[in-house]
Amino acid sequence: MNCQDLQRLVHAYLDYELDLMTSLDLEAHLNECSACRARHAEMRALRDLEARQLRFHAAPAPLKARIARNMRAACGNDDARRWRAWRAATAVSVLALAALLAWVVLPRTLPGPHQVVAQSQEKMVYHIANSEDVATALRNVANLLEISPDARIVVVANNQGVDFLLRGARDRDGTPYEPAVSRLKVRGVDFRVCNNTLARRRIDSSQVIPEAKLVPSGIAEISRLQTREGYAYMKL
Amino acid sequence: MMPHVDAAYNLAWWLVRNRADAEDAVQEAFLRAYKFFGSFRGDDGRAWLLAIVRNACYALRGQAPGAGVNEEFDEQVHLPGMVAEGSNGPFCRNPEDIAIQHADRELVNRAIEELPVVFREVLVMREIEELSYKEIARIVDVPLGTVMSRLARGRRLLHEAIVARMKKESPK
Repeated sequence: MNCQDLQRLVHAYLDYELDLMTSLDLEAHLNECSACRARHAEMRALRDLEARQLRFHAAPAPLKARIARNMRAACGNDDARRWRAWRAATAVSVLALAALLAWVVLPRTLPGPHQVVAQSQEKMVYHIANSEDVATALRNVANLLEISPDARIVVVANNQGVDFLLRGARDRDGTPYEPAVSRLKVRGVDFRVCNNTLARRRIDSSQVIPEAKLVPSGIAEISRLQTREGYAYMKL
Repeated sequence: MMPHVDAAYNLAWWLVRNRADAEDAVQEAFLRAYKFFGSFRGDDGRAWLLAIVRNACYALRGQAPGAGVNEEFDEQVHLPGMVAEGSNGPFCRNPEDIAIQHADRELVNRAIEELPVVFREVLVMREIEELSYKEIARIVDVPLGTVMSRLARGRRLLHEAIVARMKKESPK
């Protein structure tokens, strides 16, 4: 890889869109070229700046009301059934999947897919059992909160999935997880760690970061949240 | 469906950069979405809706989506601040002595607003909606490689713009 290639690929690298081999090539070039290293740092700073400063323009309330009215009116006609099916299918893929699961798994007395989607407060339990799933899970959680700030979200970690909730844990780039977890925690996301896993892997509970709470069994917790509290389940 | 209204409006705002047009585009998009939902076969409703929002925004401006960019020319353009061909390559210019991380919110948002729309839209989809390159390629209806090059070029332009604005605001 040369400087030209790096210039072309550095953004995809920062966006986690490069495959492993290309990433390794790119990192090797970064190691030997100080100019590219400087450029990489510069672009990383730009990415951070964008993430920190870019404004999200939420829809004004009157617009939302207008659209809701239009949609309700539209739903009153013959296409209503199809429309509702479409609406369920087009909700965030996460929600659709979870709603489908809820529909299949939960008793009939619980809401069907479109009702779950239409609920004002979604309840979602994310199950993380692998350390590779953490980045995706945290991104999904943040996305969901962006769309539904009121969503109740619980993240339950067991097996290898607990690692990111241990003190000093870092992602593959060396970025500590704790700040990201703290930010989500502040926004109301609950993190729960399976004590069975800690015991099995001989990890002392003092290693768990204070943002996370211990539960006796991760699986039992997931099951409880679904059956007793009406949470939809999401496994990555 | 309603959860997507914010995402739809946000994308529309960033494309048309004012509230009135953004509202019109989003309303129009939802009407179209309703009209055509029968033809929808995908599983990602958000990306599909955003594609409709994007088309509505371009239609509002009387433009074809993607107007204003010449792909062939894309990689030929030398951006301000980049050294000419034949020297040590595009990165080997003098390092900027301005630390962009201190740029304030207003300045950053203004700089993004002023990017050409083809770059602005991919940046917003990536940074705010966190869509994957594949999803963006589907929405914008261009090959994956084009998404990658537009993001790269968009960010280079943005970097230049932020540095230029910071220099202007605090002349040494």
